[in-house]
Amino acid sequence: MALKALDIYKLLPKKNCKECGEPTCLTFAMKLAAGKADIEKCPYLDEEASRILGASTKPPIQRVKIGVGERSFAVGDEFVQFRHEKTFNHQPGILVAVSDLWPDDRIQDVVREVRDGVLVRIGTDLRLDGIAIRCESGSAEEFSRAVAAVEAKADLPEVLMAADPGVMEAGLSVCGAFRPLIYAATDENYQGMCALAGKFGCPLTIRAESLESLAKLSALAAKEGAPALLIDPSATTLSDYIKKATAIRQNAVSKTVPDLGYPIFFDTTVTGMQDAALALGVDKYASVLVCDRLSIPSRNALLTLRQNIYTDPQKPIQMNPGIYRVGEPVRDSPVFLSVNFSLTYFTLQGYLEASGVPCYMLVVDTEGYSVLTAVAGGKLNETLVAESIKKTGLESEVDHRTLIIPGYAAPLSGKIEDESGWKVLVGPRDAAGVAEFLEKEWKK
Amino acid sequence: MPMKVDIISEWTGEIGEVTIGATKKEGGSRCAAIVIGGGSGFPFLGGSAPGRKPLIAFEFCDDPKLWSPIVTEFEGDVVNDAGAWAARAEERHRPDLLRFYLTSTRRRGFQEFSQVGRSVEEVLERSTLPLIVEGSIDPAIDSETFLRCGEAGEGERLLLGTAEEGRYRSVAAAAMAYGHSVIAQSPIDVNLAKQLNILLRETGVPHDRIVIDPYTGALGYGFEYSYSAMERIRYAALKGDEDLAMPMISSAIDSLNIKEVREADPGQRGEMAVKWELYTAVSSAIAGASVVCVRHPDTIVPLRSAIDSLWGKTGGGD
Repeated sequence: MALKALDIYKLLPKKNCKECGEPTCLTFAMKLAAGKADIEKCPYLDEEASRILGASTKPPIQRVKIGVGERSFAVGDEFVQFRHEKTFNHQPGILVAVSDLWPDDRIQDVVREVRDGVLVRIGTDLRLDGIAIRCESGSAEEFSRAVAAVEAKADLPEVLMAADPGVMEAGLSVCGAFRPLIYAATDENYQGMCALAGKFGCPLTIRAESLESLAKLSALAAKEGAPALLIDPSATTLSDYIKKATAIRQNAVSKTVPDLGYPIFFDTTVTGMQDAALALGVDKYASVLVCDRLSIPSRNALLTLRQNIYTDPQKPIQMNPGIYRVGEPVRDSPVFLSVNFSLTYFTLQGYLEASGVPCYMLVVDTEGYSVLTAVAGGKLNETLVAESIKKTGLESEVDHRTLIIPGYAAPLSGKIEDESGWKVLVGPRDAAGVAEFLEKEWKK
Repeated sequence: MPMKVDIISEWTGEIGEVTIGATKKEGGSRCAAIVIGGGSGFPFLGGSAPGRKPLIAFEFCDDPKLWSPIVTEFEGDVVNDAGAWAARAEERHRPDLLRFYLTSTRRRGFQEFSQVGRSVEEVLERSTLPLIVEGSIDPAIDSETFLRCGEAGEGERLLLGTAEEGRYRSVAAAAMAYGHSVIAQSPIDVNLAKQLNILLRETGVPHDRIVIDPYTGALGYGFEYSYSAMERIRYAALKGDEDLAMPMISSAIDSLNIKEVREADPGQRGEMAVKWELYTAVSSAIAGASVVCVRHPDTIVPLRSAIDSLWGKTGGGD
């Protein structure tokens, strides 16, 4: 049963030591109640309190950490079925597969790509997460050689994929200290795999065809002492995956079937359509995605989709009103009027950046409406523009007094001039035309 | 423990249906009358009323200067003749629908309205797929433009776009006068989508002639908002909100113009365009779009395989 913040607070040490990262025990309690903090962050809990709090603040989907060090990542810890209900917390890790049939240099080419490849978007470095090492040789020696080849090049999170516990142990003896994900325990081998997971303290994936068997197996694995689990419903088609993953997520977050409350593993290489499977996995509940080597376009689209889907939807779709700079504008750089609907802002900003002309954007508060809607609804008007010019201190930023307004705001041009005292230039309707506009019209 | 784990569904609402295209027998000239929408559940989850498999529309235009050079260079000279482009798209690219943008009307001071009607007629003559027509985006010329589109497509049961809050009357009037349906676009917001549907209904456009366009931001440029808006609209409809129970259309029209695609390494630009469209369209179909639109011809084949695999063998079942 979920505890209220005050009930949790009573069980906390009330030292306000800040070691959990929160200013007070009460704020920590509030975060715990909202499922936004980890009880293990409190170093001073007594045993009784940690037993009660550990069980009651446990998320419906277990949190599992994979790998160690800088590139390690956590998955699970999810509470909702749709991102609009709250947010998705932990984006899936994407691991690129290599085979132990490959020579070292071929394996290491992939490792280097994953280690060094980066896509920078809106100030964030987006990367693939790790390497999945697949045993296709059936040989313990070859498998441990392949693991060693990966280890020699990078400290990336790994998935070890082998069906035989003996082979798995050979791999773990190379990298078991770095918390790789073991793949996979099945009906046939689960005792051996669980023993390895316990011995090396590694997370374990369990695999079964039906959700009923998955639930049964996960209960057995937990009993055998496997410390952390992922589950793989063995989907081979996209249809099979979306149905099973949806059922797992629903039954887990509603706590109908707690034995399915683990992050989902999806090997997209078996579907024969990797891009679509990866998009599906990102959209619908995968926590670990295994894929073959990706082209740069596939990688970029995938990383961008993942960034999008795992953006917190509770953050507003609006920009903060104010002055934004594109490039390094100076005192005679052009000033563009725009609205605080973030898509309008990003679209215009993209085209301004591409034009290569440094400039200012004056973003005014239209309550998140686009230009067309804001003009029609009266949200964008001369008073707002004049007040924004004053309030933002725009007049001390530039020496000129010319404002470029969006084409759709043309009906307001006279009124803006009267109210603000600035000269108005009517820009293009479509942001795509700004470069041409600057070329032709911005001559002073 | 003998238990069966299943998808939990607690819906009662149904998604409405809209028909696009009319065959010869029905007074048109299309190869089929396509029904979109229907069903009672989230996409691709099967169940007793899975609705219909999402369809793919190929977008093209009458003024290629306002189109992505990635596409016009790929297609070659054919882009200068809308009728020929339509014929080629149908024959080679094999989408389910065509979506024709009258980009010529977007030039400043556009007045050649008779050409609008002729272009639509030409596209109808040279192709047989059900047709979506996108008219002007300027209230000053909407009335005349949509009248010509509607007239030229009389009997063909077009889907006409795009109505927005503040400029929906011209589209609605043309649709009602000539028997077409309407795309209703709202800026990524469930309530605004609902409000526009109510406005259209009050103008006389029945629910089975409205397709919702919640506006699709490009991947990396707000797609997440569109994705969730689609899921929320679908969710509201299944919960019983009839003013949102229309099928949806999704087109991330800026995909090929965004920096990541436009400025991609020249050797990879085509593939970048295709992947960007593919990841977006697959996700939009998963979020509930009945029609997903693309502009790069090479996106269609992998997108169709993806939708087929998501759909399964027997109508959303395994």
